[in-house]
Amino acid sequence: MRRRGTAFGMLAAGVAVSLAVAACGSSNGGKSSGSGSGPINVGVIGPMTGPAAEIGNLMSGACYAAVLDVNKAGGVLGRKLNCDLVDDTGDPADAVPNVTRALATTSNLDMAVGLESNTAATTIPLVNNAHIPMVSTNGLVAYDKTKDAYFWRMTPSDDQNGAAFVAWAQRKGYKRYAVVFQNNIGAQGNEPGVVAAVKKIGGTMTTNITIPGDASSYSSVVAKVLAGKPQALILAGDPQTSATFLSEYRQLNGGKVPPVVTSTDSITPAYFSAVKKVMGTAYVTHDMAFIGSFVSPTSPAFSIYKKAVYGASQIKDPATILGVGVIASIYDGINLMALAMDEAHSASGPVYNSKIEKIASGVPGAVVVNSYAAGLAALKAGKQIHYEGVDGSVTFNAYHNSPGNFSASGFTASGNPVLLGMIPGTEVQQLLS
Amino acid sequence: MSVLIEAIGFGIALGAVIALGAVGFTVQFGISNVLNITYGALLTVAAYLGYYLLQLGWNVWVALAVTSVAMAVLSVIFNRLLLAPLSRRGTSFVGVVIVTVAAGIILQYCVVAVAGPDTVSYGQLSGSTVKFADLVFTTSQLIILAIAVVLMVALHMLLTRTQFGRAMRATSANPVVARGCGIDTDRVIDVTWLISGALCGAAGVALAISTVTFDFTLGPTFLIYMIAAAVLGGIGQPHGAMLGGMVVGVVSQVASAYSNPAYQDAYAFAVLILMLLIRPRGLFSAGTASARRLAG
Repeated sequence: MRRRGTAFGMLAAGVAVSLAVAACGSSNGGKSSGSGSGPINVGVIGPMTGPAAEIGNLMSGACYAAVLDVNKAGGVLGRKLNCDLVDDTGDPADAVPNVTRALATTSNLDMAVGLESNTAATTIPLVNNAHIPMVSTNGLVAYDKTKDAYFWRMTPSDDQNGAAFVAWAQRKGYKRYAVVFQNNIGAQGNEPGVVAAVKKIGGTMTTNITIPGDASSYSSVVAKVLAGKPQALILAGDPQTSATFLSEYRQLNGGKVPPVVTSTDSITPAYFSAVKKVMGTAYVTHDMAFIGSFVSPTSPAFSIYKKAVYGASQIKDPATILGVGVIASIYDGINLMALAMDEAHSASGPVYNSKIEKIASGVPGAVVVNSYAAGLAALKAGKQIHYEGVDGSVTFNAYHNSPGNFSASGFTASGNPVLLGMIPGTEVQQLLS
Repeated sequence: MSVLIEAIGFGIALGAVIALGAVGFTVQFGISNVLNITYGALLTVAAYLGYYLLQLGWNVWVALAVTSVAMAVLSVIFNRLLLAPLSRRGTSFVGVVIVTVAAGIILQYCVVAVAGPDTVSYGQLSGSTVKFADLVFTTSQLIILAIAVVLMVALHMLLTRTQFGRAMRATSANPVVARGCGIDTDRVIDVTWLISGALCGAAGVALAISTVTFDFTLGPTFLIYMIAAAVLGGIGQPHGAMLGGMVVGVVSQVASAYSNPAYQDAYAFAVLILMLLIRPRGLFSAGTASARRLAG
C-alpha cells in the first residue's frame, strides 16, 4: 500500500513539474524577436513524423527552396534565413506542447509557415499570440473570416476546394456524383462546398457518405455507392483508406471504377504508390484528378521556384514539391515575409506584418518582382514593389485570405504530378454564391 | 433483404480476419494469463514480413505460412526474454500489461525505422468473386475464412481432446497447482506462445490482404477488435473468439449498410458492451484465471 502511495506521489510530482515547465515556457517565450543577431528562423510547423509526415516533408522542402534563394541574395537585413522544423505530428494534442516549446526556446523565430488543417485550430492561436506573422496552408473554413492579425493564407479553404471538385467533374461531363469522404478534418471540410456546388449546377449526388479511415473493409459502403450508379467519385481519404475503398469497388463492380476527383493533398508518392498497386497505372494516370491551388508552370516565378527546389540539397523529391500548388504558397509566403522585413527594416512581427499586404497587392507605381532577389534589389533602389510569386498575383481580403485560382492535376506514369487544367477562382466562387 | 444478406456476407469476411487474430489472442491470454498488448505490434511485424516475402516473388499463401512460423518463434523469444522474467520476479498483472504496451510502442518505432512511415501494399490479391445468393466473397476471403475455421477447430480439439490440452487448461486455471501435479508449465507456456505467435503471423498477413494497403499502425488499430472478439467469446475459448470476431465483423458491416458508416465501430462496441452486461464472462465462459480476472 505504501509502495503504491509512493508511486502515485512520484507520478503526481512528475506531472506537477511538467506543468510548471510548460507554464514557464509559455510565459517566457512566444514573442517575435524583432531586432537581433544571428539567423532568422522560419518555423515550419507541420507533421514531421507520424502518418502525415509526408506533408511535413513537402512543407520543409518549400522552406529549404525559399531559404536557398533568400540567402543567395544576401539574406534578410544582412542576416541568414534558416528553416526550423517544428513537429506538430499532425495531432492537435501533441502539437500544442511542441509548438509552445518551439516558441519559447527558439531564438529569432520571426516567421512561420505550414500550420495545416489537422492542427491549425490549436497552433495558429499560439503563433498569433506570439505576434509572429504566418502563412498557413490550412483549409479550415473557420479561417475564411479570421481576425487573427498575423494570419495570412494564399490558398483556398476546404469548402472552396470542394466546390472546385464539382467544377472540374462538371467540366468533364459528369452529372451524377458519389461523395465519399473520410472522417478527418481536411476531407470533411470539403463536403459543404461539394454539396452546395452540386445543388448549384443541378447535378445529382447519388450518395454522400462519411467513412472511417483505415478500416479493413468498406464492402457495405461500396455496395451502397454502387446502388446509386455514379458517373464520378468525389473521394477524399488517406492513401490506405482510398486504396482499400477503390480496390473493393473494383472487386464488387466487375472490375470497373468510375473516375475519381479528389484533393491535391493526395498527390503524393505514397498515394500514387498505394492506389497504383491496386488499381493499375492506367487508372491512376487517366482516371484521377487532384484539385487544389493553381500554380502556373509558365510563370516567371515558377522557373525561379523550380530552380530553387532542384537546387536545395535537402530536397529528396523535387518533382512532387513542384506539383503541389498549396506547397508553393510556403515558398511565396517566405519570400513575401522576407521582403516585408526588408521594407520595414525590421524582423519584428508587429513591425513588418503590415507590409505583407502592401507588397503582395502592390501600390500604384510599384515594380512587379517575381523573386526575392529582384524584390530586394528594387527596395535597395528605393522603389515600391509588388511581389508576384508562384501563386500569381495575390489579393488579400479583409481577413488576410487570397484563395486564387484552382488547378486540376494528375499523375504521370512515373508518379510525378502533371497539370491537367485550370479552374478560375471566380467560377468556384459562383458555385458557392 | 438482399442488402442485409449482402452486409452479413461482408461481415463474415471481415469477421474471419478478426477471428484469426482473436483466436491467437484468446489462447495466449487464456493460457498464459498475460494481456499482451504487444500482439498489435507483432501483427504489424507479420504484415511487413509477408510484404517483404511477396517482394521476393513468393506466393501469398506460402508467405502467410512462413510468416506464421517466423512469428511463432519470435513470440516465444519475446515471452522468454521479456515477459517470463517479469512473471518470475512477481510483477503484477497490470505491470506486465504496461510493459507489453511499452514493448508494442518500441516495436512500432522499430518498424518505422526499418520500413518507413509510408503505406505499403500487397497489391490486388483478392482473387475472383464468388457469389452465393446475395452473399459475395472473394476467393482470398474464403481461404482466410477456411484457415480461421480449421485453426479454431484444431485448437479446440487440442484443448479439449488431448493430454497436452488438459495440461494447458490446468496451467491456465492455476499454474502453481498444475506445477505441483507434475505439469511442465514452462513447456506449456512456450507451446502456447508458439501457437498464438503463429496465429498472430497468419492474422497479420490476412489483415494486410484484406486492407490491401497498410502502414505501421496496422496491428494496433485492429488489436482492439481482436480483443473485443476474444472477450466477447469468452477468454480462452477459440470457438468463442471465432464467434466474437464474426459478431464484431457482421455488426459493423450491417451498421455500415443501414446507417452512417462513420459510426460502424460504435455499433460494434455497443453490442460488445450489451453482451457483456448480459454475460459478463463472454458467450462461452471458461474457468481460466484470466477469464475470472476480466469478469471480476
